[in-house]
Amino acid sequence: MLEQIVFWSLSALVLLSALGVVLQRNAVHSSLFLGLTLAGVAGIYGSLGADFLFGAQVMVYVSGIAVLVMFVVMLLGRASDLHLRQVNERWTAALLVCAVAAVGLLKVARLHSATSVAGAARPSTREIGRLFLGEWLVPFELISLVLLAALLGAVFFTRTEKA
Amino acid sequence: MNAPLTLAHYMTLAGLLFLIGVFGALTRRNIIGILMSIELMFNAANINLAAFDRFLHPQGVTGQALALFVMTVAAAEIVVGLALLLAIYRGADTVYAEDFNLLKG
Repeated sequence: MLEQIVFWSLSALVLLSALGVVLQRNAVHSSLFLGLTLAGVAGIYGSLGADFLFGAQVMVYVSGIAVLVMFVVMLLGRASDLHLRQVNERWTAALLVCAVAAVGLLKVARLHSATSVAGAARPSTREIGRLFLGEWLVPFELISLVLLAALLGAVFFTRTEKA
Repeated sequence: MNAPLTLAHYMTLAGLLFLIGVFGALTRRNIIGILMSIELMFNAANINLAAFDRFLHPQGVTGQALALFVMTVAAAEIVVGLALLLAIYRGADTVYAEDFNLLKG
């Protein structure tokens, strides 16, 4: 019973605040809703027993990416943006695309309507560490190169010409 | 509401979150809004990976490890995206996607 309460309330939080991200006119409000959505997704990970993913989501997304987006939103844009349309004129076509995709996705999801959970969730941090430093060592090192490249790219693109 | 949770519940949640992200990426004019919608889509994929791990392979952690990779790539993507946006904003002085027509000649 407790599981169901947690799932339904987190789902409502995630979906409603995701709608806030997409539909809010003010970009600052959008980015605050983004933080709320990401925190809700962290809760979903917790309810799925993915404890390391929960921690990583809170550290990387809620306290990293959401704050970074908020900084950039406040750095760019002006007050007059609040009076402009924030949605382009092709939103009916986009809605149609989403409706068609929704039919397909819900059909696929219905295939698993009898797959229920087997056994209790176990802590996963230890196994993830063993996997990363054993079998998946090469992708793990490659992803650190990707992060280094992103860091250098960010510095390269944002530097001013004079400096 | 009292029915036991199945994989279909989590897949439906992830699907709806993904579609909200698709709608935002297609319709927002502000390019920061587009980047935020892309983050929503990454999160929907990650929910699916974690749910598959829990329901279909309860003895392994491969799905969660893959979700961590997705998370890392998403972080790199948004950092580079925002840096590019700052560089473009300095020249074009706008944050709206339809005004980015530098390559039109």
